[in-house]
Amino acid sequence: MAREEPDVEALNEVISSALVFNDEVGNSGGVQITCFSEVFNDVALHFQILRLPKQIYVWIGCDSAKLGCIYAAAPTRPKDMISVSSILGGVSDNTGSGIARRLVLKTGLNIILACNIPKNSPMLEAEAEKMLVQKLIQLGYTRAKAEGSSS
Amino acid sequence: MDFLGLTKCAQGNKTDVVLCSYDDHFLVIATQIGAMGTILHARKEEGVSIEPTFNVSAVFGKRDEPMLLACARQLIQHISISGSSRSLVISLGLKDHSAETLKGVVSAVIENRLW
Repeated sequence: MAREEPDVEALNEVISSALVFNDEVGNSGGVQITCFSEVFNDVALHFQILRLPKQIYVWIGCDSAKLGCIYAAAPTRPKDMISVSSILGGVSDNTGSGIARRLVLKTGLNIILACNIPKNSPMLEAEAEKMLVQKLIQLGYTRAKAEGSSS
Repeated sequence: MDFLGLTKCAQGNKTDVVLCSYDDHFLVIATQIGAMGTILHARKEEGVSIEPTFNVSAVFGKRDEPMLLACARQLIQHISISGSSRSLVISLGLKDHSAETLKGVVSAVIENRLW
């Protein structure tokens, strides 16, 4: 019996926009580990989230599993302003430091972010941040918005 | 990228240990305090001498705890002896920095190593 030829164009369209979810969740006592991957414009983005009771470690990998640059971000006195510092690596445009800062705003926790997104890729950086934040919301790691605030 | 998470008991304190293997680094997190604590970076220096030299430095947190540096130094040496040239990022969030606690951390990491 002849099999129908798959619609290649439709298949390619699906794959290019597919969310390659390979959710691995590990639980090491007080540490919850979540790993997943997604594809954006033919670029594979890998995420690793380690949730500690008082801190979150996030790794974002772009097409490779290199550690990249590490940033630490936390609310600091006065007035809980967010401070970001490069710990390791650190290129001139601080790719990832903005993500670290906004993660502190969203979660209210200290953040350590390792990111190997290449510099001068603002679209990729923005998309990675969007995917990451969606996952953090899904996992319940973000803090509730204040009542009455606009979305 | 591989990872492994486990819980050990060191000197009566529950210690969460996470080991991650990246393309160019190993990451080790050992915490008793619910946060990553002091972060150290250890790497093997390229040199002309037969004996390898290692550079170990605290990049975040306590900079005056020699036992933490010693812990990182032991692990990077073990990584080097195993044949890997990858650097090590180790974060230690421990309630005490006694030799016994750190020996416990080192042996737990080596027992479950990813290199």
